[in-house]
Amino acid sequence: MMKSDAVFHFWFPVLAIVVPLAVIVALTDQFGGLSLQRTVIEMLISIVIVVGLYIFVGNSGIISFGHATFMAIAAYASAWQTCCEMLKPITMSGLPPFLRDQSIPLLPSALVSILLAGGAAFLTGLVLMRLTGLAASISTLAVLFILNVVYSNWDSVTMGSASIVGLPTYVTAWLAFGCALLAIVVAWLYQTSAFGLAIRATREDEVAAAASGISLYWSRLIAFTLSGFVVGLGGVLQAHFLGTVSINNFFLSFTFLALAMLIVGGMGSLAGAVAGVVVVTTIVDLFRRLEAGISVGGGQWSIPAGTQELIIAAFMLLILIFRKNGIMAGREIGLPQHTHREKGLVHG
Amino acid sequence: MSRSSKERLEARGVAVAFGGIRALSGVDLSLKRGEILGLIGPNGAGKTTMVNVLSGFQRPTSGAIRLDDIDVSRLSARKIAQAGVARSFQAARLFRAMTVEQNLSVAAIGAGLARRPARERALGILDWMGLAGKADLRCDSLSYGDERRVSIARALALEPSFALLDEPASGMNDAECEALMELIARLPERFGCGVLLIEHNMKVIMGVCERIHVLDGGQSLAEGSPADIQMNPVVRRAYLGEKASDRTLAI
Amino acid sequence: MANIVQVLVDAIALGSLYALVALAIGLVFGVMRLINFAQADYITIGAYALVVPTASVTPPLLLGALPAALMIGGVLLVVVVLALATERVAFRPLRNSNPSTLLISSFAVSYFLQNLVMLVHTGRPKSVGIGQGLASAVEIAGVRIPGVQLLTMVVAAGLLVALVLFLKKTPLGIQMRAAAENFQMARLLGMPANRVIALAFAISGLLGGAVSLLLTIQTGTLDLRMGLMPVVYAFFATVIGGMGSLPGAALGGFLVGVASVLLQTYLPPDLRPFRDAGVFTLVILILLVRPQGLIVTSAAKERV
Repeated sequence: MMKSDAVFHFWFPVLAIVVPLAVIVALTDQFGGLSLQRTVIEMLISIVIVVGLYIFVGNSGIISFGHATFMAIAAYASAWQTCCEMLKPITMSGLPPFLRDQSIPLLPSALVSILLAGGAAFLTGLVLMRLTGLAASISTLAVLFILNVVYSNWDSVTMGSASIVGLPTYVTAWLAFGCALLAIVVAWLYQTSAFGLAIRATREDEVAAAASGISLYWSRLIAFTLSGFVVGLGGVLQAHFLGTVSINNFFLSFTFLALAMLIVGGMGSLAGAVAGVVVVTTIVDLFRRLEAGISVGGGQWSIPAGTQELIIAAFMLLILIFRKNGIMAGREIGLPQHTHREKGLVHG
Repeated sequence: MSRSSKERLEARGVAVAFGGIRALSGVDLSLKRGEILGLIGPNGAGKTTMVNVLSGFQRPTSGAIRLDDIDVSRLSARKIAQAGVARSFQAARLFRAMTVEQNLSVAAIGAGLARRPARERALGILDWMGLAGKADLRCDSLSYGDERRVSIARALALEPSFALLDEPASGMNDAECEALMELIARLPERFGCGVLLIEHNMKVIMGVCERIHVLDGGQSLAEGSPADIQMNPVVRRAYLGEKASDRTLAI
Repeated sequence: MANIVQVLVDAIALGSLYALVALAIGLVFGVMRLINFAQADYITIGAYALVVPTASVTPPLLLGALPAALMIGGVLLVVVVLALATERVAFRPLRNSNPSTLLISSFAVSYFLQNLVMLVHTGRPKSVGIGQGLASAVEIAGVRIPGVQLLTMVVAAGLLVALVLFLKKTPLGIQMRAAAENFQMARLLGMPANRVIALAFAISGLLGGAVSLLLTIQTGTLDLRMGLMPVVYAFFATVIGGMGSLPGAALGGFLVGVASVLLQTYLPPDLRPFRDAGVFTLVILILLVRPQGLIVTSAAKERV
């Protein structure tokens, strides 16, 4: 049995992330304006997505450009099940009858969508995880392009590159927070488990991991699949927050932003993944407002559209050059060192 | 291959060629559980290549590796590790961003343990090696000597039938080296494993090994008890020929 | 059914275009283990240098207004300088990072450059007319071949030969090949790392500039993403060719180009939009059979 002290130590890094988030949500829920509340919800959804990405990229050290694929799969699946019952037979006539002619309740549809995303990640992983790190990264790019080409042109089912609109928007701040909490807890349990330890060893040194009896292939496949499920959850949330789904939102720009968040915070730790989301969301939101224009001393003043993207890219490069392990430098937020042994688990 | 303990690890007529260079040619070597076999030879004799072949990191060009009479030459390094052949590396190759305990636990997990039992095994080994206090330190904060000790401990966390230690004492001072050799001498009794020990320092190796195998230029030069090897004129010539100032001369 | 000769010409023209881009990617990968996303933006910016930055859809010509020789020289110079600048500013400080960090940094550089072009030129596609005279078809042995395709083939073949001669015959070229095979060893043997890396970027810029011009003449349009598809194809070319192998990169480039043209020609019309997906699936299937690529180099394997 773990003593309660040890339990506290084990969960402390999670609490150190989640409690401040809960405070942010509670405060903005009470006192924030509508646009701030929306920003906070977007941030929480980004946390789900980036933590999902982190489960693979952070633990394995292999960059993936393909995770937007699994989000898109989940988002579209959810749209097919829940969207616009009246219009579906016309706009998405190619859907099978059981989807075309009825809507499926929200919770089961969300679960099915997430399962599909995880299943797609598993199948993709079966093939890609055989490759060496860089070849695997480039191949995830191939996956992203394949899905983009297919969904952009499969007009009778996806409405091509047009947006599907009219999804039920049920995502509130507290629901998004609950999902972020779930993603963080899943990531934490995974990275402190035997599987998590094994894959982190392959990240540190593939050769020494093999000499320790660790299978590169299986440990990567497990991480890839699990992260597919979690980003699938992110995809469903995003779809039902915006109320629309469009394949263009799951392509390179989105992939860049998600990776930038992970890199800025530091892909080596869960705390880094979350910190990166918070920092990048703040910068993006700030510059988005400046681009929209603010009134200074009676006059309207704005910066050119596109500045925000330049800033984020430059910021990410500066982080890579001057603090290459990101803001959190690959560390979790642990309690100060003391001699108690059980706290060893805390380093994840 | 099953995980049960094995009695004998053998190389039969092993040859390895890199392009035109023959790193090993026709080497026979046999390691029994419970014994410590020294593998010595001048630089470039093929010692590390031999360890790479025995641990599955290098396919032999010809010849075979047998574990209890089963040919394992075509198994991956991971499978060989799981079958009970552990190795350490000349450069420690620790998982640097992980703690000492986690480094050992990875090997225990590789051997099939779940997280909790892996941790218990890791702490047990660290305790035995006098490293218990360092269990929760990150490996990138360890001293050089501790890095070397942890890399051996990690190999042992597989609870292997055979441990192949590639110059475990390299870069250590005399006192550290002596302490390490005392520890290695106790491995067979504590873990019931056979040990293959590569070491440059002849004096050191004479004290720990029951048998010594000498490689030179990729070929077996001699094998026998420390006393035999010490007296062997061929061995003496091979070593004398290499470098007169080498401390390996201090037999 | 399409004329076999025409299909062949198309396939070779596109294949050699992708081979050029793949060589640019492969050279830089060889000397610093960097898969350079920004190659796409070298191509894009080279093309945009032809016109004056305006919001107009039919912008006035800038470099494009110069006589052919000066125009070509100008575009090549712009792209070479750009490539060297990205190396100096972004990639040199990261030189000792691991390949994942380098990959992601080039993604950031690419994103930066792409948005910079958008800020300067706006995001609307533009039309630009250079080399119209080349658009007319030439009749060879009873087959009408578009002049642009011929030009692409001639230029690509010429550059490939020049590059091979450079790599095989000149001391710098030989150093560069040595570096691509084993960078650490080459460095130990006294290779000037800064110079060789800068040279690799300069060549990648030169090839990028050539591709800019060829693409612009072919399509007559400028688009923020015009460099993207060739570079993505080139990525896959270098991966299936075998990372770190220059002949592999060229071979892979030809393969993906030819595959693309064949699918475009022989797929049923309603499946043609899915052509790229087909090529990329093919790439993944090849990797499934040969995870190390077609030509395995020592760079692909890690030493124990």
